[in-house]
Amino acid sequence: MRMNRILAFLLAVGLLPLTSCLDVVQVDIPEGKPLLAVEGAITDQPGPYYVTLTKTAPYFDEAELPRVTGAVLTLEDSEGRRETLKEVSPGRYATSTLQGKIGNQYVLTIRAEGEEYRAETEIRRTPEIDSIRAEYRAKSPTDGEGYYILYYGEELPGVGDYYQFKVYHNGQQLNQPGDLIVTNDEMVDGKYINGVELTEEEGAGGVLFKKGDKVRVEALSIPRDYFYFLNEMATQINNVGLFSTPPANVRTNVRNVQPGSEKAAVGYFAGHTLRTDSLVIE
Amino acid sequence: MLRFIPLFCLLFLGLKPPVRAQAPATAKVTVSGYLKDAANGEALVGASVVVKSLSVGATANEYGFYSLTLPQGTYTITYTFLGYEAQNVTLTLTENLTRSVRLGTQGLQTDEVVVTGKKPDENVKSTEMGTNRLDMKTVKLVPALLGEVDVIRSIQLLPGISTVGEGASGFNVRGGGVDQNLILLDEAPIYNASHLFGLFSTFNPDAVKDIKLVKGGIPAQYGGRLSSLLDVRMKEGNTQRLGVSGGVGLIMSRLAVEAPIVKDKGSFIVAGRRSYGDLFLKFVPDQKDNQAYFYDLSAKANYILGEKDRVYVSGYLGRDVFAFGKAFKNTLGNRTGTVRWNHVFSSKLFANATALVSKYDYGLGVPEGNQSFDWKSNIVNYSLKADFNYYRTPQSTLNFGAGAIYYTFLPGRVTPIAENSIFRTIALDEQQAVEYSAYMDNEQTFSPRLSAQYGLRLSMFDYLGGGTVYDYEGPNGRQKTPVNPRQYGSGQLIKRYPNLEPRASLRYVLNDNSSLKASYNRMVQYIHLVSNTTASSPLDVWTPSTNNIKPEHADQIAVGYFRNFRDNAYEASVEVFGKRMDNQIDYINGANTLLNKNLEAELLYGRGRAYGAEFYLKKNEGKLTGWVSYTLSRSERQINGINNNNWYVNKYDKTHYLSVVGIYSLSERWTVSGTFSYSTGIATTFPDSRYVYQGLVVPNVNGDVRNNYRVPAYHRLDLAATREGKIDPAKRWHSSWTFSVYNAYARRNAYSIYFRQNEDNPAKTEAVRLAVFGSVLPSVSYNFNF
Repeated sequence: MRMNRILAFLLAVGLLPLTSCLDVVQVDIPEGKPLLAVEGAITDQPGPYYVTLTKTAPYFDEAELPRVTGAVLTLEDSEGRRETLKEVSPGRYATSTLQGKIGNQYVLTIRAEGEEYRAETEIRRTPEIDSIRAEYRAKSPTDGEGYYILYYGEELPGVGDYYQFKVYHNGQQLNQPGDLIVTNDEMVDGKYINGVELTEEEGAGGVLFKKGDKVRVEALSIPRDYFYFLNEMATQINNVGLFSTPPANVRTNVRNVQPGSEKAAVGYFAGHTLRTDSLVIE
Repeated sequence: MLRFIPLFCLLFLGLKPPVRAQAPATAKVTVSGYLKDAANGEALVGASVVVKSLSVGATANEYGFYSLTLPQGTYTITYTFLGYEAQNVTLTLTENLTRSVRLGTQGLQTDEVVVTGKKPDENVKSTEMGTNRLDMKTVKLVPALLGEVDVIRSIQLLPGISTVGEGASGFNVRGGGVDQNLILLDEAPIYNASHLFGLFSTFNPDAVKDIKLVKGGIPAQYGGRLSSLLDVRMKEGNTQRLGVSGGVGLIMSRLAVEAPIVKDKGSFIVAGRRSYGDLFLKFVPDQKDNQAYFYDLSAKANYILGEKDRVYVSGYLGRDVFAFGKAFKNTLGNRTGTVRWNHVFSSKLFANATALVSKYDYGLGVPEGNQSFDWKSNIVNYSLKADFNYYRTPQSTLNFGAGAIYYTFLPGRVTPIAENSIFRTIALDEQQAVEYSAYMDNEQTFSPRLSAQYGLRLSMFDYLGGGTVYDYEGPNGRQKTPVNPRQYGSGQLIKRYPNLEPRASLRYVLNDNSSLKASYNRMVQYIHLVSNTTASSPLDVWTPSTNNIKPEHADQIAVGYFRNFRDNAYEASVEVFGKRMDNQIDYINGANTLLNKNLEAELLYGRGRAYGAEFYLKKNEGKLTGWVSYTLSRSERQINGINNNNWYVNKYDKTHYLSVVGIYSLSERWTVSGTFSYSTGIATTFPDSRYVYQGLVVPNVNGDVRNNYRVPAYHRLDLAATREGKIDPAKRWHSSWTFSVYNAYARRNAYSIYFRQNEDNPAKTEAVRLAVFGSVLPSVSYNFNF
């Protein structure tokens, strides 16, 4: 996003680029004990919806995270519908009948490895995407040369809406740590969003957007707590600079409800809406 | 609180100095006046006046005023100040007498004047402890970052004073936070003492006369912050002739002009600096619309209205400007104005009245387009106070006074600029508060061995409306819920906090060159810097104590042994301190501290403690001068909702902190110097495990612990050489070149270590070190004066 360039510039005027440096260093840290890690979502689009269970692994371990198989997951909505998820592949659980709906609350219960966890979420209202556009910009102090993907659409009146945006470039998601975009409506409540950059000139894999490329944008209206989760995550995975935030754990909505157990879990089970739009750059 | 006052008076006025009994009937007379530098008329703060035959003496105050009461008779009075020729004056005293004295510098090889100084044995003899003075001449010889002499970097070479990293704004004193230092420039508080996000301090060394840092045994006159007082006083300006000084360095240029307004009656100084890194941007096509610079202007004038009255007017304006084409602009800075009026009521009673205003503000925004906005935030204070020094007897000086500070806070206001801006107006409620204070303390010599300074400060803080005020409910460690909203009109009292702050320090002389000292002080802090980043950022906002944020308190006890060797050629001290603090502020994980109208929902409060030992050895004389300072300390806090409610070390906790400073005079013209610093790495939280969410690797630490690791130890060597121009007594022009090398062995000291997935292979994770200065930084600067 544009902010990154501004920060780069601010560092530049601090003469930092002349002398500052980032390098990879060896750090000895102990191997933490494994915790349940949850990733899953329910949306207002037709299912099935998936929940993936893994375990945390030592930070520098490169192996794929161990899957948690044989768990019992149930999902219940505020209208009293309830269903047990099926394990469709190791550690991956899917719904078959439940349909997510704006305004409903959801409770996911996970029984795994002798513990019981609960995660609560909701699906909130959403604005619609008016359009997305690709705008060609020449090189300038703020911008590199190339196409920028812009968002257009109403923001709903009333503070308290939270959003995530995902951009796909020729089918591949822009998914570096810096591409995690979450925002709230605190500063833009009820205004028409008339062209805000969702990307810089580089698309997925660091290649430039060019004529003929397909671009798809997903706009998610997310609950407040999930916004904080993603925002804290974005902070922690991009945490560099003079004014970095002290490292801290990202919140979770997965709580251990087993009496007497203190074993924590990480990750999030979220409810959100999903609106998409796509274009071909001309 | 009124019931304390009789006790208060009793304590101060009821104490009969023991000496009075020994010297009865003879009538007493007082000799008073000012001590000044003969060459430029600057007041000699802390110079001493001694009558050897009676073993009594006095010290010149911040304005150079002294007062000494003696029995009638004939005496030889000796006026001394470090670096100056002593003067003996024989006077026959039959009635009160005014006698101002000018002292000349020793070895008149340059015009460079050491104004800060002290008695050679003040280290041992004064009741002050936990106090460091730096003279600007030394500061100028110590190697400086990019050749720019820096007051705040220099004090970090002293025991008990550290920083979270180079480039970090502010400093930490005895395990306290950066917002716990009262930084005064001619009595006006400075709310952000740095330029360029912390690389340079706001003080122009050419305009600074005297720097004093008090970290323990803080006199009752000062209050409002927990950890220290940094008292910076500007030069008054040459009363004898026009003087010009300046310098050209890699980063900035400086110019100062001082001159008499009317010779011996008044003078002024105007000093300015500007960085010019941005001028190079103009030559880069890509960058030509970008701006990045800072400047500051210091000005001061004083005028003697008569025998008994003089006025001082001083002002400071500093600004940092960053603009990124038309895409972004950020400006910030301090401005202060101080008017002081000294009045000598009698030869024994000196008074100073001060009126001042100080403001720190920042603005940032996008000037045009659909994302244009303007964001402003500031803190302003207006302050009135009166301070009195009453020189009762040679054994007792009473200091008393009162003051009030009116604050306004603009936590943040965002307004859209262009018609089509997507932003709306957001304004957090402006806040107001008044801080009142009154104090009295007594410097009492009980015997040649035992002296003390003890006092009491009464302070009170009124948090005033208007706006909406909430209470907050919910478990600690998570965002709380605002409840019970209440409306207050502008100026309506929301919450009042009165406090008593006792202060005391004691000195016991063991023999001619050693003493023991002890001190206790209670400090209260009513305004707090809300900062959730490793180093405080210029966008951090000051907040008053409110109905939810309580004033911070600190109790500190310190004891010290002070000893000078070889006729004061060496001074040494060991001080041990312990400090307890309450209502310390911390933040929930992921707290949002900007533009948050429910900021208090994200704050947590708890206890702090710090303790340590400081060792200091300084060599004052000879070709080689300098010092070694070593601090062993610990600084911790306990906050419900963080680290499972257990104690944890503060990020700025440094177990070991060592500085070695050496200045060697090679010849008349060449001086070389070096500094070496070593400190334990800052405390931080390292993950022990990872998980993947949305395809991104997220670090996690078991047990949600805080500050479980240290970044690697910090150490650095800096070198400098100064070559003075030819010394030609016939010419007034004098110049020097300074060559310096910062970070001489190019160590990549870790400012922070963070964890990320590899850019090319997300399955691979790595720890990345940010070093602010990753290489050697050489520089050259040229300085002149005439």
